Amino acid sequence: MFVAPVDALVDPFTTPYMQRALLAVVLLSVAGGLFGAWIALRRLAFFTHAVGTATFPGLVVAAPAGIAAPVAAMGAALIYTAGLARLLRDGRLRADAATGLLLVAALAIGSILAGDVFASGAGVDRLLFGTLLGLSDTDLWLAGAVALLALLSTALLGRTWLATGFDPGGAGALGVPSRLGDWLLLGGLALAVVASLPAVGALLVSTLLVVPSATARLLAGSMRGLLLGGVGLALAEGICGLWLADGANLPPGPAIAVLGGVVFAAVALVREAT
Amino acid sequence: MELLESELLRRALAEVVLLGVVCGPLGVWILHLRHTYAAESLSHAMLPGLVLAALAGVPIVLGASGGIVVAALLIALAARDRRIGSELAVAVTVGALFGLGVALALAPDTPARLGELLFGDPLGATDGDLAVAAGLGLVVLVALGFGGRALRVTAFDAGSARSLGVSPGRTTAGLLVLLGVAIVASVQGLGNLLVLALLVAPAAAALRASDRLVVQLRLAALFGAIAGAGGMELSYVADVAAGPSVALVACALAVLASLRPGRAAARPGRGPIEGLAGGH
Amino acid sequence: MSLVEVSGIVTGYTPGRPALSGVTFSLDAGEAVAVLGPNGGGKTTLLRLLLGELPVMAGTCAVEGSPAYVAQAGRARLDFPVSALDVVLMGAYARTPAWRRLGRGERERARAVLDRVGLAPQAGTRFGALSGGQRQRVLIARALLQDAALLLLDEPFTGVDRASEAGLLAILDELRAEGRGLLVSTHDIDHARRWDKVLCLNGAQIAFGAPADALTAQALHATYGEELVTLGEETVAVHSHHDHG
Repeated sequence: MFVAPVDALVDPFTTPYMQRALLAVVLLSVAGGLFGAWIALRRLAFFTHAVGTATFPGLVVAAPAGIAAPVAAMGAALIYTAGLARLLRDGRLRADAATGLLLVAALAIGSILAGDVFASGAGVDRLLFGTLLGLSDTDLWLAGAVALLALLSTALLGRTWLATGFDPGGAGALGVPSRLGDWLLLGGLALAVVASLPAVGALLVSTLLVVPSATARLLAGSMRGLLLGGVGLALAEGICGLWLADGANLPPGPAIAVLGGVVFAAVALVREAT
Repeated sequence: MELLESELLRRALAEVVLLGVVCGPLGVWILHLRHTYAAESLSHAMLPGLVLAALAGVPIVLGASGGIVVAALLIALAARDRRIGSELAVAVTVGALFGLGVALALAPDTPARLGELLFGDPLGATDGDLAVAAGLGLVVLVALGFGGRALRVTAFDAGSARSLGVSPGRTTAGLLVLLGVAIVASVQGLGNLLVLALLVAPAAAALRASDRLVVQLRLAALFGAIAGAGGMELSYVADVAAGPSVALVACALAVLASLRPGRAAARPGRGPIEGLAGGH
Repeated sequence: MSLVEVSGIVTGYTPGRPALSGVTFSLDAGEAVAVLGPNGGGKTTLLRLLLGELPVMAGTCAVEGSPAYVAQAGRARLDFPVSALDVVLMGAYARTPAWRRLGRGERERARAVLDRVGLAPQAGTRFGALSGGQRQRVLIARALLQDAALLLLDEPFTGVDRASEAGLLAILDELRAEGRGLLVSTHDIDHARRWDKVLCLNGAQIAFGAPADALTAQALHATYGEELVTLGEETVAVHSHHDHG
C-alpha cells in the first residue's frame, strides 16, 4: 500500500544524474546553512546575491575562452569586489548604490557577451538558473571542498565573526582579529557562491545560502540552533526542490527558490499565529 | 544621425531618453532616502507578473503593475518580523518571486520570451508602449514636483518632520509607489533586471557632481537622457543589444563621476562588512 | 601605578586632519577619571586612541597592558541570538586560541562575574531581552572577564534608567576600590563630581584636574557651549543628551 507513493518519491533519485545532483545539493546545503547563519546575522544577503550575479559575465566567457567555469566565475567575482572596494573608498559612492550599480553592469555585460558576442543561446538559462543534468565531477569536488571550508571556518572563526557582528566598535578591544576574520568571511562567501553556481545558477544563489538560514532565524534562539537549523532546512528544501525540478522539468534554482519561499511564509505565519 | 532615420529606432530612442529623464530625479530621492535595495528588489520580484502577462498575451504594463503590487505587499509582510530585518525579508521574498517567475516562464511548452523580459527590448516598443511610458513618466515627475518639500524634509530633517506638517511614513510610502510606477514604465525598455541602472546610476553620478539638491535633480535627468541616447547610439554602432547598452552607459557615467575624490573620512570600527552590509 | 600617561597627544581618523589635539593627562590604578565633552568633541576618539586603533600624530601616549572597553549598550546588536552569558564569555576570547573551546573554567568565571554585577539569574536570557541598565551591566561583566587593569567606558549611562544608574555607579566604585583604573566618558556632570579627576574635551583639552578645579563655569562653557543649562545657582546640566528609560 505504501509502496507506490514511496516509489514515486524515491524513483527520480535512482538515475545517475539525479544522484549527482543530490550529492551536490547535500554538500551545498552544509555550506549554505553554515555560511547562511553569518549572512543572516551580518546582513550580507544583498552582497551575496550581488556576488552571485556578478559571476554571470565570467560564466559566459568561460567556455569560449577555454577557462574552467569556477575559475572564470571567481575571477569575475574578484573583479566585482575589487571594483566595489574602489568605488567605496573614501565614500565616493554609497555602498548600496555602488553594489547595485556594479551588479547591473555585470548583468548588462554578461547579456551582451552572451547574446551578441558569443551567441550562447539557450546555454544562458543554465548559467542563470542552474542545471540538473550537467553537473560535472569538478562541480562536486568544489561543493565538497566548500562544505569542508564552511565546517572548518565556523569552528575556528565563528567566535570572531560573532563578536565582530555583535558589537563592531568593541570587538577590537576583545582581542579578536576582526578585520582579518571579516575578509576571510567575505572570501568564504565568494567561494560558496561560486560552488553553488552549477546547481542553482548565478541569479539564485540565495536559495541555499540565504533563504534557509532566514527561516532558521525565525525559529532559533541560539547560534547553535541557527547553524543547525539552517543546514537542516537547506537540506530539506534542496532535496525536495530537486524532486520538484525533475518532475516539472525545470532547473533546480527556481524550484528550490519557490519551495524556500513557501516554507519561510509558512513558518512566519505559524509564528505570528502562536 | 542614423538613429533618427528609422521610425523603429526613433521610438526606441524616445522611450529610453524619456525613461532616463524620469528615473534620474526619482533616483536622486531613492538614494537620499536609502531605498536602493527596495528598487532592486521590486524590479526583480515583479517577474511573475510579467511572465503571466506575456503568456496570456496581455500588455506587459498590466503584468508589471500587478506583479509589483503583489511583490510590494509580500515584501512588506515579510519585513514585519523584527528578528528578520528588512534586508533578509526582501532577499527571501525576491528570491521566491523571481524563482516563481522563471519557473512559470520555462515550464510551459511554449516558453515566454524570458530574455526580453529580463534584459529589455526597446526596439519592440509600440506607439502604445511609448504613450504609456510617457504618461506614467509624467505622473512621476509631477508627483515629485508636488512632493519635493515633503521629500526634502524626510530625507534631511526627519526629526522636525511632524512639526513641519510632513509625515515621513506617508512620504516614504509615496516615494515607493512612484518607484513602482517608474519600474512599470521602464520594463519594456530595459527589462526587469536592468531597470535599476537608470534608477541608480544617473542619480549616483549627479550626487557626486554637485552638493546642491536642485542641481542634483536636474543633472540626474540630464545624465539619464545621456545614458538613454548614448546607449542607443552604442547599441546601433556596435550592433549589440539595446537594453544592456543603455544600462552600461548609465553605469559608466556613475563610475566616471566617482573618479572625483571623495570627502568622507575613514571611520574606525567599520570593518569591510559593516560598510557592505545592507538594510537599515 | 600609572596606567595611562598621555602628553600633548594629537590624533584623528584621517591623516592631516586631527580630531583631537593637545591632550595631556594621566590615570593611576584605583583612579576614576570622567571625560566630559559634547558629541563629536573627541571623547570616543580618545578612547579609540587608548585602545590603539588611532594613530598618534604628535605627542606621546603610554598605556599599561590591554585595556578593556565597555561599549555603549545601545550600539550592540540586540537581535543576535546570544544570551547574557554568551556575551560575557566573549571576554575570554583573547586568551583562548581559536581551536580551543571555552572550557568549564571560563564558564564558571563568567557566571561568577555575572553574579558580581547582580545578573546571575539572567545568565540564560537573550541579551536583547534585557533592560538598558542590565545590558550595560553585562558589558561591564564582559570587561571584567577580560580581567584588565584599565577599563574604558563609553557613555555607560546613556539609555539607562535612574534605578539601574545607582547600581552601575556602585559597581564602578567597587572596581575603583579594588585597584582598577576607570576612564568614563559621560554627559553627566554630577557623576563627574564624584570621581577623582575630570577631563574636559572639545576637539582639544579644555581642562584636567580634580573636579573642584576643573569644573569651573568657564571650563564647562568652553566644553559645552550652548548646550549648557543652568538650573538654579549651582546645578548645571547638559541639555538633551541624557536619555533615560
